[in-house]
Amino acid sequence: MAGELEGSKALSGLLSGLAQEAFHGHQGITEELLRSQLYPEVSLEEFRPFLAKMRGILKSIASADMDFNQLEAFLTAQTKKQGGITSDQAAVISKFWKSHKTKIRESLMNQSRWDSGLRGLSWRVDGKSQSRHSPQIHTPVAIMELEIGKSGQH
Amino acid sequence: MKMLVDFQWKLGMAVSSDSCRSLKYPYVAVLLKVADHSGQVKNKSFEMTIPQFQNFYRQFKEIAAVIETV
Repeated sequence: MAGELEGSKALSGLLSGLAQEAFHGHQGITEELLRSQLYPEVSLEEFRPFLAKMRGILKSIASADMDFNQLEAFLTAQTKKQGGITSDQAAVISKFWKSHKTKIRESLMNQSRWDSGLRGLSWRVDGKSQSRHSPQIHTPVAIMELEIGKSGQH
Repeated sequence: MKMLVDFQWKLGMAVSSDSCRSLKYPYVAVLLKVADHSGQVKNKSFEMTIPQFQNFYRQFKEIAAVIETV
């Protein structure tokens, strides 16, 4: 690995970019964008496998919704692997997961909601009501308006 | 204006999905049956997260309180 890839400063930014693309549905975060913004000194050929490795690690952590014990064990194992990560990188990844875990989990929950959601609810109570179809008058009626639509879209 | 003729609910727990193996996400799914003036019944269903459901429940409580006073 080139020296630039081993540094931890840019890794935090990289993980943010990966999370945006993989979990939060942000389009347009390409390999080339990440490379040019964060690792401009590194060639695309070298950057590609590195990016894939980091993406794989982040997805594993998110998919298992790792708690801090699992995270430590997982990252330690990654540092011991051939072609794994450095302990500096493990520290950056750990810090990233701890601060973004909740938001990422929320996005993953949204991704698994395919049914319509309740987007809005308003109501009114009418004191007396009379209709030609209902024999009851002087009966309070609650009228509700529910806005039902695809979840995750605002 | 339609009339609510039936309200069905279920409390579910999403355990796993293709994007997240360990989901552990509880939700409330509701099926409303509404009838128009001709008597034709239509189904409307939707899903709520637990916080959304709590808000939903609170609104009904408010309606019940108001209806008592009318």
